[in-house]
Amino acid sequence: MIEANHLTKRYGKTVAVDEVSFTVRPGQVTGFLGPNGAGKSTTMRMILGLDAPTSGEVRVDGKPYRQLVDPLRSVGALLDAKAIVGGRSAANHLKWLADSNGIARRRVTEVLDIVGLSEVAGKRVGTFSLGMNQRLGIAGALLGDPQTVMFDEPINGLDPEGILWIRNLMKSLASQGRTVFLSSHLMSEMAQTADHLIVIGRGRIIADAGTDEFINRHTASSVRVRAVEQADLAEALTRRGALIECGSDGTMIVTGMDSANIGVAARSHDITLVELAPLGSSLEEAYFDLTKDQTDYHAVQLVGATKGA
Amino acid sequence: MNTATQTIDAIHFTPPALSVRTPRIRRIAKAEWTKLRTLPSTWRTVVMAFVISVALGAILCVSQVQQWSKMTAGQRQTFDPTACSLFGIVFVGAVLIAALGVRAMTSEYVTGMIRSTFAATPNRRWVLAAKAGIIAVFVFPVALLTSVISFEVGQRIFTGKHLAVSFAHPGVLQAVVFCALAVTLVAVMGVGLGGLIRHTAAATTTLVLVIVGGVTLGQLLPAGLRQYVPGTALQAAITVNHSAGLLRPGTAILVLGIYAAIALAGASIRMSQGDA
Repeated sequence: MIEANHLTKRYGKTVAVDEVSFTVRPGQVTGFLGPNGAGKSTTMRMILGLDAPTSGEVRVDGKPYRQLVDPLRSVGALLDAKAIVGGRSAANHLKWLADSNGIARRRVTEVLDIVGLSEVAGKRVGTFSLGMNQRLGIAGALLGDPQTVMFDEPINGLDPEGILWIRNLMKSLASQGRTVFLSSHLMSEMAQTADHLIVIGRGRIIADAGTDEFINRHTASSVRVRAVEQADLAEALTRRGALIECGSDGTMIVTGMDSANIGVAARSHDITLVELAPLGSSLEEAYFDLTKDQTDYHAVQLVGATKGA
Repeated sequence: MNTATQTIDAIHFTPPALSVRTPRIRRIAKAEWTKLRTLPSTWRTVVMAFVISVALGAILCVSQVQQWSKMTAGQRQTFDPTACSLFGIVFVGAVLIAALGVRAMTSEYVTGMIRSTFAATPNRRWVLAAKAGIIAVFVFPVALLTSVISFEVGQRIFTGKHLAVSFAHPGVLQAVVFCALAVTLVAVMGVGLGGLIRHTAAATTTLVLVIVGGVTLGQLLPAGLRQYVPGTALQAAITVNHSAGLLRPGTAILVLGIYAAIALAGASIRMSQGDA
C-alpha cells in the first residue's frame, strides 16, 4: 500500500509534482499514466525516499520509506534499468543487493530463474540489451519478496514477447495480493494491464479511477444508425432522450443511447434497422484529450503542411 | 511464452530463505565488500599498483646507487634508504590505489546505480561509512604487502653499496607500516572526494593534484605551513632519518587522517542533503 498526501516537489520555480494525493491499493495493478515530464518519475523517487518532497508526504505500508527496516523486503522497485555498473555480472549485481538487506544468496538464483536470466547470470551487465537489463531490474525488485512492487516505464525497449511477459508478471503479482504500481506514457498498454488508473499531467492528478470506469467515463460513445423507416426511428429515439445528428450519407449519429437500447426501440416500433454501429472515441483519444493541456512539449502543426500533402 | 507461464508458480518461495540475521551495519559493509570484489577493475588496479610501485621504487633506488659517488658528505649522511625504497608506492602507488576509493563512489553516481544503493539502504551516512571502511580494510593489507616488497627490493639494490637497512633498524618497521597506513588514508580521502565530486575523471584529477601537485605548490607556502601539504605529509610519514622541514611520522599520519576526515565529512554533508 502506497499513500501520497499532498505530495509536492519544486525545483526552483518549476513545480514538478503539485499537491498530489493518491492511494495505491494491494491486490490490483495500478497504472500511473501521464505524458513525459508529467511528474511520474519524480513521484516514484519520492516514494523511495530518494528525493525529498518540498511539502507533503508519502508512506509505504504506513511508514515513510526511510523508516523501513530492510526496505527491499517491503518494496521492490525498478526505476532505470540502465542505471547499473556494467563491469559486474548479473548474479553479482543481485548478490550485493541481497547482502545489503540480509537476503539469503540462494534467492539470487531464484529471481534469476523467475526473469529467465539464469543462462546469462555470469555475464557482465554491460553486454546486456535493454530488455535484459529490464529483466535484471525486475529480478532485483523481486529479490526481497516484497509486498509492494513499483516499476517506472517497465516496457520501454521491450519486444512484444517481453511486453506480454511483463504484463502477465504484473497481473500474477497482483493476484497474489501484492501492491503493483507501474508507470507508463502509453494509454493502450495501461488499459490492458492495469485495474486502476492514476493519470497525472503537469504534476497534478487529473484522474483516479478503475480502468473500466475510466473508459466508460472518458469515451463518449455514439452509434451510427440507418433504418428503412429513418424518420420514425428518429422520432422514437428522440422521445427516449437520445440526441440525433443527421449524417451526410443518410445515416444518423445517435448519442446518449447505446446500440442495445436503439435495437430495442426499433423493434418495439417495428422499424427495420439496416445499420447499427457503435462508434465510441478510442481510449487513446480520451487520454490525449485529457492530457493535451498538460503536455509540456507539443509538436506544432505546420500551416499548409496538410494541404501540400 | 514459456517464461510468462512459469513466473506465476516460480514467484512463490519459502520465506525462511530470506532470513539471514546480521546487524544492519554489517549487512551494508558486506554489500559494499561484494561490490568491490566483484568488479574486475578492482583486481586489475591492485595488480597494476603493486607492479608499478615496486618497479618505480627499484628504479629510484638504482638511480640513487649510481649517483652515490657524486653525493656530498651531507647528502650521504641524511640519505634514508627506507624512504627511498618506498617513494614508488607513496607517490604513484598511493594515487593508483586511492583511485579505487574514488571509483567506489563515482561509478555509482555516474551510472545512477547510487539510487539502487540508497533504495536498499536509505541511511546515506551508513553507506558512506561502509564504503570508506571497506576500502580501508581492503587497501591496508594490499598497501602493506606492496610496501614490504618495495622495501625488500630496494634494500637488495642497496646491499652492493652497503647502504641497506633491515627491519631490525630502529624506525624501519614503523616507516613500512606507516607507508601502508598513509596509502590507506589517501584511499579513504578518495572515497570522500568521490562523494563530493561524483565524476570519476574530475575526482581522480583532484586527488592527483592534492597529492602530487600539492608538493610543488607547497614550495610557495611559508616553511611552517609547507609541511602540512598532503604530499609532504606522505613523504614525512615514511622517513626514518628525521629531516628538518618535515613533520614527525606520527604527526604526518595524524595530518593525513584529518584530511581524510575532512573529505568524508564534506561527502557526508553533500550526500545526506539533496536528492539522489
